[in-house]
Amino acid sequence: MTRHVVRLYALVVGVLTFFLVWALVAAHPWSASSRRASRDPRLIELVARRRWIERESSRVQIVVARRWAIYRKALRARNAAIARVQRQRALAAQQLAVAPVPAAAPAAAAPARIVTLPPLVITRTS
Amino acid sequence: MERRTFTAMGTEIELLVESDDATDAFDAVEVEFERLEQVLSRFRPDSELSLLNQNGSIDASPDLAQVLWLAVDARERTDGRFDPTVHDALVGAGYDRTFDDVPRDVAAASAASECGGRVSVEGQHIEIERGYRIDLGGIGKGYAAERAAELLALTGPCLVNAGGDVAMRGLPTTGVWSVAVDGSITLGLTQGGVATSGRDRRRWRRGGKEQHHLIDPRTGAPAETDLLRVTAVGDDAVAAEILAKSLFLAGEREAADSTVPAVLVTADGRTRLSRGLGR
Repeated sequence: MTRHVVRLYALVVGVLTFFLVWALVAAHPWSASSRRASRDPRLIELVARRRWIERESSRVQIVVARRWAIYRKALRARNAAIARVQRQRALAAQQLAVAPVPAAAPAAAAPARIVTLPPLVITRTS
Repeated sequence: MERRTFTAMGTEIELLVESDDATDAFDAVEVEFERLEQVLSRFRPDSELSLLNQNGSIDASPDLAQVLWLAVDARERTDGRFDPTVHDALVGAGYDRTFDDVPRDVAAASAASECGGRVSVEGQHIEIERGYRIDLGGIGKGYAAERAAELLALTGPCLVNAGGDVAMRGLPTTGVWSVAVDGSITLGLTQGGVATSGRDRRRWRRGGKEQHHLIDPRTGAPAETDLLRVTAVGDDAVAAEILAKSLFLAGEREAADSTVPAVLVTADGRTRLSRGLGR
């Protein structure tokens, strides 16, 4: 009984040793390419690039957040300006309504009247 | 009010914007004018319009197709008074190079050329009838003024004056855009466009006879009319340009009776308002 157990252990140890030696030999630890794989410049470059992209991504997130804040501020100002212009336009339309409008004014005619304001520009023959 | 002037399309361009800093917008407009000139100029041999005139057909850019479509549409609406096929008539009259280079007085007599050639605009494909060529001088400036106003409007209320073709967006703090006409009259506008057409500026002599750049498509020669200049108001600068030329060709009586808001200067120096301006 005891001899059988010893034999079984010896067999298992033998098989394990065989596979261990096989794996060791298959790994070619003596070859240069195997040692080189761990310090492949392309891998090193990829790792470095990944780190750079991660850093850049963080920076871009910060810039986007900052620009978004500026845009929202500008949008608020622009909306306020639009509201102001609409108020002015309504006022100007009221003033124009006082001026005589020809009965048969065409649809294409834009509101125009003679004013006494100082001119902003001069139109001349183009 | 921010202001910038520069030269493009053979004329002075004036930009006004109510904004604290419009430098970038002004720069963008200058680039846009240059781009459109490269599309619409008949004086640049490599422009898109020149290619169309050379080949008779082209798959055009959206801008050229749009301007030509507007011009053809205007020809129908004005009963032929506005016509884009006046190129050869202009060249025949002596306006065959940029105006600054046109000799002011030479002995050669001018010859009238036929206008009214067929122009087909199908999507972006353009074809013109053999023997005709296109000029988009006036309407091109109006179109460019509108495009520029679109760009400037992103910055604030603005006005673009492209050598007399005026486009505007929004309102200034004064509540109205004031545009001087003829030195004595100032028009107040809240929207739309203004344009002036006349024979008081771009003129020269051929064979002892005065010529100018406003061709009457019915005769194929510089228009003979009792008006010197017409300033018209339209829905935009393009519409105003078309109205101004049509009224100029119509003559004093018809123009004065028009419901289009317009200021007329007659050949004998009188200034009249059209019925549309509350005459």
